[in-house]
Amino acid sequence: MRTPAERAGRLLRWYPRAWRARYGAEFTELLIADIAERPRSAARTLDVARGGLVARLTGAGLAGLPLASTEGPDPLRQVRAGIGTLSAALAVCLAVGAAMWSQLTIAWQWTSPLDAKSPAMRATLVMSAAMLAFLAIAALAALPVIYVVARNLSRSRLGKPMLGPLLVLAVAVAVLAVGGHHFGNGWPGTGGHGEDGSLFPVIPAGLQAFVWALSLWDSSIWVHPAWLAALPAQELAWMAVCPIALAVATVAAVTLVRRAELPPWLLGYQTGLARLACAIMVIFAGGCGYWISIGGGPGLAHSGLIDIAGTAVVALALGVALEARRTAMRALRLARS
Amino acid sequence: MPERDRGQSAGGSALAGFGRYAGPATLILSSLADGAKHGYALTKDVEEFAGVRLAPGTLYEALARLESQGLIEALESDDRRRPYRLTAAGAAALQAHLDAQRRVTETGLRRLRANWGVS
Repeated sequence: MRTPAERAGRLLRWYPRAWRARYGAEFTELLIADIAERPRSAARTLDVARGGLVARLTGAGLAGLPLASTEGPDPLRQVRAGIGTLSAALAVCLAVGAAMWSQLTIAWQWTSPLDAKSPAMRATLVMSAAMLAFLAIAALAALPVIYVVARNLSRSRLGKPMLGPLLVLAVAVAVLAVGGHHFGNGWPGTGGHGEDGSLFPVIPAGLQAFVWALSLWDSSIWVHPAWLAALPAQELAWMAVCPIALAVATVAAVTLVRRAELPPWLLGYQTGLARLACAIMVIFAGGCGYWISIGGGPGLAHSGLIDIAGTAVVALALGVALEARRTAMRALRLARS
Repeated sequence: MPERDRGQSAGGSALAGFGRYAGPATLILSSLADGAKHGYALTKDVEEFAGVRLAPGTLYEALARLESQGLIEALESDDRRRPYRLTAAGAAALQAHLDAQRRVTETGLRRLRANWGVS
């Protein structure tokens, strides 16, 4: 039989660490008193679980008003949390969206001039423009963050907490760069229309091949054991390692952003860019939805169940990104007021 | 009274932004209007004057939001039960919210009396 203090301690685990640091002691006292009055209460357990979930979502910048820290209310912390979650959600959009986009660009390389004006190819153009715009915005967002991180690294107090995630990020990016370059050599678009027939003269074939290699893992091949068995072991290993490296790189980048103590002006700049990035991703998701709604396209531009699932993931991640942006904006207004 | 006017305006909108948490937030602010209290004392007071028992998770969810909005503040305490008190912005927010509720209550009662004969 557990004591009320032990039971309260177990209930407290529903809450994130930062919340526990601020409210844990007093909340435990209240729980002990409540348990003494009502020894068994499923409603209390559910209420605490729900409260813990909300606190976790709030900590991720996804729900509710700004967080209070041990030093008091801290809206800027909430902005950083929102931007971190927003970045992660957009990274998911990009990773999953890239797989569909890659398939369509390969289809484009091989499509006949007759099919070049098909609806699927028009959707490809829209998605390509969105993808390029998104990458440009990502670069615009990353550059000042890199500057702040580099500046903070020179100061031991600010730089120390960033060393860990920076190292992890560097390793993950190195894995992705080397693997992407190596496996990109097997890009199925090679040998297509090339310079003359390419409808993407502004997107170098090397970039298309690289993106394709990074999205190889997003494939229906996982549910076809015979096809899997026929794959070279090296490629199979890459398909397993690549999503892990992508996830590790995303988490490390988000941790870095949250620890970098970005100044308020930069947080404002990032939330402004995020609005644009979300709008572009809405266009991209619209292109995916259109492509699927018309039943795919000719040849390699056909769509399947995995593309429906991919579009759903992009839409879901986009919803998370929009909510994180809304929370970040609200917290930023509060910080400025 | 320009400071108070600004406070009322900001406070009213602050509590309106609580959405479905406005209920617990109003109860907590009303309780703290009578003086600083810690979590357990708040629960007991709310239960006494409103007949509502705020569950621990709900109470602290609302407390955290109110604190982050600057409507209440935590006081230093020697033991683990930290008391909270109402801030000026919190008092303004509560007043604005209760004024709006009173207008609804008065309108409803007036219409009930006029059309349903309810005394």
